[in-house]
Amino acid sequence: MMALRRIDPVGLLVLPAVLYLGLVYGLPLLNLLARALVIDGVPSVAGFVKFFSDPFDWIVIGNTLRIAVLVTLLSLAIGFPTALALARARGAAQALILVAIILPLSVGVVVKAFAWQIVLRRDGVVSQALVALGLWDEPQRLLFTEAGLVIGAANVFVPFMILPIYSVVKLIDPRLGEAAATLGAAPGYRFFRVFLPLALPGIVSGIAFVFSMAVSMYVVPNLLIGDRFQTLATLTGRSFLLMRNEQLGSTTAVVLLVLAVSVVVASSALSRRFGGQS
Amino acid sequence: MTEAAARDPGFLSIAAAEKHFGPATVLDGVDLAVGRGEFVSLLGPSGCGKTTLLRIVAGLVRPDRGRVVLDGQELTRLPPHRRDIGVVFQNYALFPHLDVAGNVAFGLKARGADPAAIAATVARNLALVQMSAYADRSVKALSGGQQQRVAVARALAVGPKLLLLDEPFSALDRKLREAMQIDLKRILREVGTTAIFVTHDQDEALAMSDRIAVMARGRIEQLATPAEIYARPATPFALGFVGLSTRIPGTVQAAEAGLLTIATALGPIRARGHFLPGSAVLVGVRPERIALGSGAGDATGPAGPAGHNAIRAALADAIFKGARVQLLFAAPEGAEVQVEASSLPAGAAPGALLDLTWAVDDTLVYPAAEAGPQDLEAVA
Repeated sequence: MMALRRIDPVGLLVLPAVLYLGLVYGLPLLNLLARALVIDGVPSVAGFVKFFSDPFDWIVIGNTLRIAVLVTLLSLAIGFPTALALARARGAAQALILVAIILPLSVGVVVKAFAWQIVLRRDGVVSQALVALGLWDEPQRLLFTEAGLVIGAANVFVPFMILPIYSVVKLIDPRLGEAAATLGAAPGYRFFRVFLPLALPGIVSGIAFVFSMAVSMYVVPNLLIGDRFQTLATLTGRSFLLMRNEQLGSTTAVVLLVLAVSVVVASSALSRRFGGQS
Repeated sequence: MTEAAARDPGFLSIAAAEKHFGPATVLDGVDLAVGRGEFVSLLGPSGCGKTTLLRIVAGLVRPDRGRVVLDGQELTRLPPHRRDIGVVFQNYALFPHLDVAGNVAFGLKARGADPAAIAATVARNLALVQMSAYADRSVKALSGGQQQRVAVARALAVGPKLLLLDEPFSALDRKLREAMQIDLKRILREVGTTAIFVTHDQDEALAMSDRIAVMARGRIEQLATPAEIYARPATPFALGFVGLSTRIPGTVQAAEAGLLTIATALGPIRARGHFLPGSAVLVGVRPERIALGSGAGDATGPAGPAGHNAIRAALADAIFKGARVQLLFAAPEGAEVQVEASSLPAGAAPGALLDLTWAVDDTLVYPAAEAGPQDLEAVA
């Protein structure tokens, strides 16, 4: 009785989430870790040693990080200006942009990936447009290339870049830009010294969202680039589903998890370091 | 006007500034000249265009027509960052990602000043506003009055030719506001900066300004010293907006050598002015100009000394204001009769008839057609 009374009732509100995450996520994760670190009933790091001593696995890690970084950068390049436009827009225009961003989320990833298969074909829209503009001499296939994968994946993840940036940018007081201007700051200086530092928390959450989704995506690479190109996520899937090698699958899954979490943690630490006291 | 202002009366000159937002005319051809070192207030109700005029001078709003010239330089098409004009915003607009010193240093850094010079200037300006002890605090941890001081220091640090203040005290409570008014006057006197101050608070404008521009409906109704605006308001709007006043509508009955006799619901009133007989006019008197006498025992009607007007009215309410008492009298539709006295006259209960007398020379008279502040409030 006494112990219960000391618990802040508001703290109890997180109980369902903690139970849910613990049972459905935490326990399986521990199970995964155990499988990666236990071989034939004996604790061993042999699985990791074997994984990291195989050059192919390093290529897979490289593929995973390169694609995730490129998808994140492309999403940022598209998402940042869109988020600014969304924050500036009023009324019907704002509603329209929001719908255009959120509605595609209700279309499944598989449907989107198949749509991109059509767009990225040798006779697809992108290829034809680039030829028509004179940038390409002849039609080329983007499907089953890394470029195609990056373009398609960025399309799937860009809302998760736009929304966090938008939610931060819309709260930035427009008077701050005016104040900076009256203090003699030119537009570029205002952008880099006032706007960007204040928008940074949103940019970092967007990057963390998109990177962690892109580094672990499974369906999109399967449909847009195929078997010849492996990432940690597709390799994990193959290990469990095709090769029936649970030990390898658990190992790749743990490596992926550690990579993703450390990048996200590092980026938010960096933003706190350079983003001032906000 | 200060000596420097007299030497350079057109230091800032705004000519025929006009601004429309859609169908609404916000500024309707405003001319204003401010002398070097002068402190001019733009006083008016919300929606009168005072903030828009300030933003045009700062370069944050582009006027549809008109020119802005500062210190001989045409500013009209210049972007705000090249104008050399400091602004203190209503909500202060301090940079939340910078500390107090960082805020004050911002303009100097933007201009690429040398770090040693920046540190010295920041220290000097923080001392000026008595915020030196807070240099490395976050601006989010400051009180309203402290944020206000930082905003003033930040705007002054770059040494602007002109300082614009947009209702800077409106978020402060009354005591702090009065302290800040005195402080700001001291700071500006020390620095010698020319300043334009936007406010809707008449007491603030009267207390601080060298001159006041009373604004209504996108125009400047009167530009004069506080004393002149108070004693001789140029329009019924200025009369009603600045200070209390007795206002009685009437019709000119006779006009002889500049002496008018005006028929009102409270009896004839004489005033100096030039109107044709038959003109509808508004008579105004400042409440402290009116002397009170007991009208109860005198059956012949109100009477005052020579050269004075006298009316008799029934006391409706008395409002105790500390040093003074404000007396409100029953008045016909469209009129308002109030007197300020140092004490409540003997036997002055509500309903009592009292005689009000004041000098003919203190009687203000305006054409009646112009809208008073009440009409404007309804629009705004």
